[in-house]
Amino acid sequence: VNPWSDPVAWAALAPVVALVGALVNAFFGRRLQEPLPGLIASTAVAIGFVLSVVAFVALQGRGAGVTLTLWPFFAFGFDTSIGVAIDALTAIFLLLITGVGLLIHVYSIEYMRDDPGNARYFSLLNLFVAAMLILVLADSLVLLFVGWEGVGVASYLLISFWNETKANADAGRKAFIVNRIGDAGFLLATFLVAATFQTLTISDVNAVASTFAYGAGVLTTIGVLYLIAAAGKSAQAPLHVWLPDAMAGPTPVSALIHAATMVTAGIYLIARLSPLYAQTPDASAVVAWVGIATALIAAVAALAQTDVKKILAYSTISQLGLMFVAVGVGAYAAAVFHVFTHAFFKALLFLAAGSVIHGLHGEQDVRRMGGLGRLMPRTGRSALIGTLAIAGVPLLAGFFSKEAIFGGIWNSTLAEDHGSRALFVLALLVAGMTALYMFRWYHRVFCGAPRASASVLARVHESPSAMTVPLLILAGASIVAGYVGLPAFAFPNAIKAFLAPALASVPTLHPPLWVEWLLVALSVAVATGGLALGWWIYHRGAGRLAARWGEGGGGRFARAGLGFDALYRVAVVTPVEGVAAGMAVADRDLLDRSLASSVTAAVWIGRLIALWQSGFVRRYALATFLAVAALVAAAAFMGGSA
Amino acid sequence: VIAALLLLVPLLTAALLAFAPRAAIHRPLAIAGALATFVLALAAEGASVAFDWIPALGVGFALEASGASLVLVRVAAAVMIVTVAWALARVDDRPHHVAAWLLATLAGLIGIFTARDLLLFYVWWELTLLPALVLLGGWGLARRRAAVVKYLTYAVAGSFAMLVSVLAIRPLSGAADYGFEALLAAAPSLDPLAQTWLFAGFAFAFAVKLPIFPLHAWLIDVHEQNHPSGVADVAGTLYKVGGFGLFAWAIPLLPAGAAAFAPIGLAFGAFTAILGALIAVRQLHLKRLLAYASLSHMGVVAVGLFSLQPAGMAGAMALLAAQMVTTGGLFLVSGMLHDRRGTFEVAAYGGLARSAPFFSGFALLLLFASVGVPGLANFPGEFLALLGAYAASPAAAVVAVGAVIAAGAMAVNLNARVFQGPAEGGVADAKPLEIGVLAPLLVLTLWLGVAPAAGLAAIEAQVVASGPSVVGAIGGGR
Repeated sequence: VNPWSDPVAWAALAPVVALVGALVNAFFGRRLQEPLPGLIASTAVAIGFVLSVVAFVALQGRGAGVTLTLWPFFAFGFDTSIGVAIDALTAIFLLLITGVGLLIHVYSIEYMRDDPGNARYFSLLNLFVAAMLILVLADSLVLLFVGWEGVGVASYLLISFWNETKANADAGRKAFIVNRIGDAGFLLATFLVAATFQTLTISDVNAVASTFAYGAGVLTTIGVLYLIAAAGKSAQAPLHVWLPDAMAGPTPVSALIHAATMVTAGIYLIARLSPLYAQTPDASAVVAWVGIATALIAAVAALAQTDVKKILAYSTISQLGLMFVAVGVGAYAAAVFHVFTHAFFKALLFLAAGSVIHGLHGEQDVRRMGGLGRLMPRTGRSALIGTLAIAGVPLLAGFFSKEAIFGGIWNSTLAEDHGSRALFVLALLVAGMTALYMFRWYHRVFCGAPRASASVLARVHESPSAMTVPLLILAGASIVAGYVGLPAFAFPNAIKAFLAPALASVPTLHPPLWVEWLLVALSVAVATGGLALGWWIYHRGAGRLAARWGEGGGGRFARAGLGFDALYRVAVVTPVEGVAAGMAVADRDLLDRSLASSVTAAVWIGRLIALWQSGFVRRYALATFLAVAALVAAAAFMGGSA
Repeated sequence: VIAALLLLVPLLTAALLAFAPRAAIHRPLAIAGALATFVLALAAEGASVAFDWIPALGVGFALEASGASLVLVRVAAAVMIVTVAWALARVDDRPHHVAAWLLATLAGLIGIFTARDLLLFYVWWELTLLPALVLLGGWGLARRRAAVVKYLTYAVAGSFAMLVSVLAIRPLSGAADYGFEALLAAAPSLDPLAQTWLFAGFAFAFAVKLPIFPLHAWLIDVHEQNHPSGVADVAGTLYKVGGFGLFAWAIPLLPAGAAAFAPIGLAFGAFTAILGALIAVRQLHLKRLLAYASLSHMGVVAVGLFSLQPAGMAGAMALLAAQMVTTGGLFLVSGMLHDRRGTFEVAAYGGLARSAPFFSGFALLLLFASVGVPGLANFPGEFLALLGAYAASPAAAVVAVGAVIAAGAMAVNLNARVFQGPAEGGVADAKPLEIGVLAPLLVLTLWLGVAPAAGLAAIEAQVVASGPSVVGAIGGGR
């Protein structure tokens, strides 16, 4: 049977199309008139989107996914091929990457208008999409790693896109190096997988892992090593420090890569290996607690930021933390559901921020914004929907996905002995803080009196429709996307049912129905409570309370990201630089000199050589001749006696 | 016949070049010679030559092109084509002599890689040093004399240690002759202590040539003092044959010796990997930087080999082949940069991506390939070498994987300093000749990264052919 006759398999061509788009723009883009590079790139992603939709539709009602082996990669005790595996989990990510990706490509055509690097931008954006698609299509950990590092490279090049400014180049370097720390974890985890399972094919690893004893030590080690990898890519503490700096890239890049897709790769990895993680409660607990710690840290930091994008960046880190909690407690479908809804409203928020920055001609400080809702009505209204959706206001997308996470934590058997109740309380706290800092964000940007200078205000304009139409589409999605995952205890939950064949199913507790409804009520309460608190502080109190905090030590500490960068400079960067400097000195001054000039033999040989006056060639020829003569003589002697 | 031609074509071309009277024929002759060698290498699958050379001593002239040997020969020959072309264009002083010595290097490498007789291997090993020294001494920079003396000192010290082992292994083991098969039949059953001493001799020479810490000081100076075009550095990069010596001779013939040395090899290899990468991170001289980065690769090669795992050993050979393309390519890029600004000081560059986007893009691709980004040339070898190392010693693998992080930092630092940042004055973008030189390397980089299976299978076959003793030595393996 020809595997390509299955329409699901056609999705394997999506990364190829994106790569072709990247190559076309790389080689010919500079000679093309705008907006051709953007149109080419968007078309490539649009084709990918169509293929993804086809795959998604064709997968409906099927249990198993489709696997396709393309060509051999390497074979050592085990065969590793380049191959793809498309199941429900892959299909959801394919839709997100190409769907949200398409909107952001279209938006970028306007946002990057007249940028001298226009073609390079679209080439890199397509390269990113290709790498991300490879990541989710891969059937083996090796190919997954190709996509994994590929998105890291594309992300690096896009963060430092405007690299004439040193700060932007530095932000890119930081992202790449921190990601590489995560990648090192990935490599070590993969080596241990190879040693343990004798395969790197994901489905085989999962199948064998689920036969291991519950809590087996080797699974825990693998789980923790892959957590390092996931933390690097998904900006989880302590490897989250690159994401706020990554805002140096163009805003659509922040929306696509640093909010909607690449940063969810860590959640994808753990969900993809869910049968393995479901067997190791210890590693899963580490995942969950890293997630909740990150969510809290980032939520505090988000409250104090003054850059319109950095607030959103910390918000992303915090939301990713909640997703880590979800995969850590075994609520894999809930985590993927939150990835799904978050992609819409966070992309929306970033694109709205981009629209604001565009309208204000580069201004990013919320202290010089305010009142923009009247001047940029479409942007403002879309941003409001995004804000309410992420805050968890009932019946919008974020409400349902967060509710699924809360339920998942409360009912977890995997984390039952690892503090699931405490996780639950802290997750509620994070949700309340989310509503608070997002209220602050929206209020500072769009409400109240304008704080921008008169000259800027005079030129403020609503963005053109190439930018606002994607906003409106994403706003629509932020309203409706939640209905695919209604609370499962009382309603049909389409996404959970669709994902079920692709994820491990962890037994859950089944509390009385009133408890389930109480969880929903709590979720509503923290969202509205957070918003109300925000209204009280920022609207009614005109932010005076917040200003006092913000100017104090606590505010400065939070604004500086709770001191992680400073800590790393002192505890990691400086020592490593010191070691490197020491090595360089030792290598040159101690080792080299001692071996080359003071070791007796070296000096002796050096002097011997110096005896011969003429060119070194003759010396060497003589030396070789003597060596060969010695060899022949010795061989003759030994050969004769042997 | 093909095996003999493989050796003779580059040698004869070199000789003809050296005495060719008219400059007009230098270029076609040299490139034709290199191309012909490459085509022969493509056709040389399993080709062999064998005749008695010095029968009284049991020395045969036996060559065979197969397995890892053939993979390395093919990649080296391919890289040499563009290197010869670049040399003829960029070297002002007697370019045809440089091309001749490059081809002589290629011939020597083919001898080293295909020799199936230990003494023959040793002779090629020694002879190939000659062109490397000539290229450095004849065309190097001001302080080349010191670099030559240092290189020679290290090389001769290593060679004499190896010579002792080469001469001793046959009488001690009672092998019929110096051929690989005869030695393989006899040497592995030597008692472990004898194996350890014999292995020590080989290991010293190979460690100097790899090189690994603390025997690497010559490498840095040689690269710094080589001709600024970078062609001699490419020859030097292809000539990183220490790992091959361990792979093809020392480990299969002396498995117990290898097992005794494995912990030391893993430790020094891992340390070399991290040392080279960390020093490269903060190097501001382009060629010294590349030399340290290359040293780091050799550390990974060493941990792969001393893992004594089939995957690790094969990965080490794949990495040797890949770095010929990527490190070699980066040395050519350094020459092209030197053409533009006349210095190797990184501080003199910056912002080149603005005025030279294609050139910068090519360079960046090679740079990312050389730090092991998957999908590009170095990754399969690096991955397998580290995988093998992990199976043998997780601690060594953790240290060596640390080098992966440092190498990433090196790549982005170099990119930031040379290609990013504010552009101070433009430079020319890639010229047709430069594209002609770099494009084949990029194709090869992608090819080795995307479809390494054929080469790896060939390498694996050689591991298996000489493998029972290897696996036996560590009690099973994978």
